[in-house]
Amino acid sequence: MLATYFGQDCPRAWEMMPWVLQNRATKKQADWLASHLAQCEACRTEFAQQQRLQQAMSLPSEVEVDAEAGLQRLLGRLDTPAAEEPKRTRAGGWLTRALVAAILIQAIGIGALGLKMWSTDQTASYRTLSQEEPAPATSGTLRVVPDASMTLGDWNALLHSLQLQVVGGPNDVGAYTLAPVSAKSIKPNTLQQLRAARGIRLAEPVTGAP
Amino acid sequence: MNDADVPADATDRVLLQRMSTGDRTALATLYRSYHGRLCRFLSRLTRRPDIIEEVINDCFWIAWQKAGDFRGDSRVSTWIMGIAYRCGLKALRQHGEEAVEDSIPEDRTPADDPDEDRELRDWLSKGLERLSTDQRIVVELVYGEGHTLDDVATIMQCPVGTVKARLFHARVKLRNVLPALAEGSITVKERNDQVP
Repeated sequence: MLATYFGQDCPRAWEMMPWVLQNRATKKQADWLASHLAQCEACRTEFAQQQRLQQAMSLPSEVEVDAEAGLQRLLGRLDTPAAEEPKRTRAGGWLTRALVAAILIQAIGIGALGLKMWSTDQTASYRTLSQEEPAPATSGTLRVVPDASMTLGDWNALLHSLQLQVVGGPNDVGAYTLAPVSAKSIKPNTLQQLRAARGIRLAEPVTGAP
Repeated sequence: MNDADVPADATDRVLLQRMSTGDRTALATLYRSYHGRLCRFLSRLTRRPDIIEEVINDCFWIAWQKAGDFRGDSRVSTWIMGIAYRCGLKALRQHGEEAVEDSIPEDRTPADDPDEDRELRDWLSKGLERLSTDQRIVVELVYGEGHTLDDVATIMQCPVGTVKARLFHARVKLRNVLPALAEGSITVKERNDQVP
């Protein structure tokens, strides 16, 4: 059973014990502790335990490490040209390694995805049914429905005279998409000339709006 | 500072000064001089000899690099123990649970360990295993190495009050868990004869 402390001097004695054991206390302090211990069984027991603790702590390490082998390795490290901040041969625990691996895999995945998106054409390769058919990039594009009786010769002659070319069609209703041969050949009255021409049933400009 | 500390510290300072000029013989002397106490100190953190050697070498690698920067504000032993303490904590973080072993295998215990010492070690290990790492370190530095509270605060880079609290709680725990003292322990009177 542990002894209990009763006296007012016990806390002071308790605090003083390690330094008396270390021979750091003055003679006056050591004498005072000795006189206290003579009359206090609890502190006497504690001090005896402190002495045994110090004795046990002073024993050489039970883990044997070869000093000379370690010293040779240290001297070898000093000779290493790239000797910098101490490095470990082994990284952190398995959890750290697993986290690093996961982050690397994610980074590689994101990088590959970004590369693929960057290299892909920006225009969507699909079109919904409600979407307007993409309009030709050239301005002055027209949608024309020739009469069924119009000969190919008349059609070609008309396109040539107006400097137009077929860029699409015919679609389901027989309409062709015409565009100027070049940007310089755009004329403001082309639409009117088409409408006035023989064999043309319908001529309308192509606009973005439906 | 103890009377015995003065000449030892003076010798260490000379060695450190020589190290700052690239004297490897001085490094080897200091290494051998501190190896035993660093082994014991670090064995309170880890039981792995390879990690202990790694930490000691990291410590002296830093001491070799920084020898010229030593300002002399503390004893050399306090400075070196502080480096070893920080290297030890770093090694614990890096090695994680690998650094912790519950016991020393039979083939690693000193062969010439007398029964009395083995009994003392067992008694001590029962107590120390109840302490936190910080408390174990404080107990080692005070009882094993003979450092003052100020020294320990410098080594652990914390306020003296924190060291006092750690020492107090460690002592209370040890008092509660250590088995009864065997008969024939050193008596108070015998011990007092050694106090100046």
